[in-house]
Amino acid sequence: MGRLLCFAVSITWSRLCVLMLISLAAIATTPVQAEVKIGFQAPLTGAAATDGVSARIAAEMANEKINSGGGVLGQRVELVTYDDQAKTEEAVFTANKLVGQDGVTFAVSGSYSASGRAAAPIFQKASVPFISAYGVHPDITRSGDYVFRGVHLGPPQGRAAAKFLSDNLGLKRVSIVSMDNDYGQATLEGFKSVVDQFGIKVLGEYSYSLKDRQFGSIVASVKRDSPDVIYVTGYFFTAAPLVTQLRSAGIRAPIVGSQAFDAEKLIQIAGTAIEGVYIVGGLNRDRDAPELKQYLTDFEKRAGYAGENVGASVYSAVRLMCDAITRAGTLEPAKVRDALAATRNFPHLAGELVSFNPLREINMPMNVNVVKDGKFRHYAWIDDLKLLAPPTE
Amino acid sequence: MLYYIDLVFNGLVFGCTYALMAVGLTLVYGLLRILHIAHAAVYAFGAYVAVIVANDTGSISLGVTTAMAASALLGMAIYRLVYQPLLDYPPYVPMIASIGLLVFMEDGFRIAFGEQGLTFASNPYPTQLHEFLGLTVNTAQIAIIVAAAICLILLASFITRTRIGVGWRATVYLNFAIGSALAALAGALIGLLNNFVEPTMGFVVSYKALAIIVLGGLGSLRGTLIASLALGLVESYGTIFVGRFLDRDAIAFLFLIAVLLARPQGIGGMKAA
Repeated sequence: MGRLLCFAVSITWSRLCVLMLISLAAIATTPVQAEVKIGFQAPLTGAAATDGVSARIAAEMANEKINSGGGVLGQRVELVTYDDQAKTEEAVFTANKLVGQDGVTFAVSGSYSASGRAAAPIFQKASVPFISAYGVHPDITRSGDYVFRGVHLGPPQGRAAAKFLSDNLGLKRVSIVSMDNDYGQATLEGFKSVVDQFGIKVLGEYSYSLKDRQFGSIVASVKRDSPDVIYVTGYFFTAAPLVTQLRSAGIRAPIVGSQAFDAEKLIQIAGTAIEGVYIVGGLNRDRDAPELKQYLTDFEKRAGYAGENVGASVYSAVRLMCDAITRAGTLEPAKVRDALAATRNFPHLAGELVSFNPLREINMPMNVNVVKDGKFRHYAWIDDLKLLAPPTE
Repeated sequence: MLYYIDLVFNGLVFGCTYALMAVGLTLVYGLLRILHIAHAAVYAFGAYVAVIVANDTGSISLGVTTAMAASALLGMAIYRLVYQPLLDYPPYVPMIASIGLLVFMEDGFRIAFGEQGLTFASNPYPTQLHEFLGLTVNTAQIAIIVAAAICLILLASFITRTRIGVGWRATVYLNFAIGSALAALAGALIGLLNNFVEPTMGFVVSYKALAIIVLGGLGSLRGTLIASLALGLVESYGTIFVGRFLDRDAIAFLFLIAVLLARPQGIGGMKAA
């Protein structure tokens, strides 16, 4: 009996030793370096997947760039990515998951307005500094003092477009075709707020939904207006058919488009019809900045298609978050928030981010592109920061 | 005046695509009482085959005919593999399977061909312009109207002539084949008109075509045709005159509700006994 007991004890003891050895080995192979987790949301599937996938590639590029430069505060940065399908309910669900389950202390949205707007209050409540990389609905930053935006708001984009077609092109009789979602309407609001100031006459105003690809009746109406210039808000996948259909109806007036036109696919779909179209808020690819040039080359290599605005905004947002952490010198969310708010002359890929205003909106000049020989080329800067001033409340 | 004719023309273009789509749904519903929602995926499949074959061979007409043939086969396969095993269940079972198939195929297109969609490498049709009674129309638009007219006339004469003598089983396959080929034609032509084929392109037409077959009186070909053209016109005018307050889908469904309130059996449906 005594021998048996002895035997049992010795087995248990030897097992314990093995277990201890295994756990020691596990501890030894785990890197000692801690990780800074940045939550990331993007529409990786569904109707907005084109932009979502660009966003993810850009975010990963920024992440790798930061880690290859030693991370932040000596720690590696890890992106925790979720698909929000550009839907509010998915954005809320994944934001809660990021905060509750993954315990991220910083977050970046590479998604559209509606989903960014739904996610922002959750990050605000959890005191997680949050940058919406290219979501343009005004309510996003109104969620609270932890929420920042890395792109021009819809209304300044609209005001810049009004200035551009009136001052740069000298054309004042306009037909407007706008998308009936948050982005389209916010931009339109800004445009219309300054039409009197610039002496612009609106001949006709039409709207369509994100799902529309057939614009026959709108095209017929624009033709009847016979405008000097057409102002269009929309994404490349609505803009390309729309511009093609306008040109196919024999309409020759210049077309001024909005920021979300700025994707290589626009040129591919619309072909020669898109030549000469202006894009207010497009990414200036001709700018002489080494990081931008590097980004454009690397992005094309990874994605298989040329880099555009969405990716550049997301890349810059992830970089800006890490820049703020470095400037704060701590991972404490409140300090990082303060550092973000105090940002001055940050090298955003789209230009110099001069500062954030009290509502955490960017002060930054805006680029205008023109499509020439199948390429987006720089055409003008709108640098009247007063006109571009984002709202403060 | 010309403007209103232009709107009618555009309404016809919308209506003809809906008709090409809805005919297949009506054929399937008339025979099997199944709401064939995955028909929208067949439409997108047709567009994908057309763009891929056209870009490979340089011939758009070869692309379109291959698309129709391949989609006819796909339609028959869907019946054989998805619906036939479920025929003994209540109608909502095959309908749920159909929704699943639509979602599966949409994501399949995305995974196989990329979320960015595809474009025709060389596609002169949307930019070939024709002056016609003072209207400027392009070849793609004309092709949609002409193709719809030819196909539907052929179909009508075919159906009246072959109604007797065709066995039940053959008819089911034939209905799937014809309906799917027409959906593929619609998809390919819309792909040409926009020069853009995208994974989700079937989604909008899917629920609109469903609304149309309800409007047309479920199972009535004549009703479906009238409903398609009527909806095209309502959307064309509606986009301009109430588009500030309502989007195009809302206009379409308000129209559907209004017609069904006035005529619950639909446009072509028989009065309930």
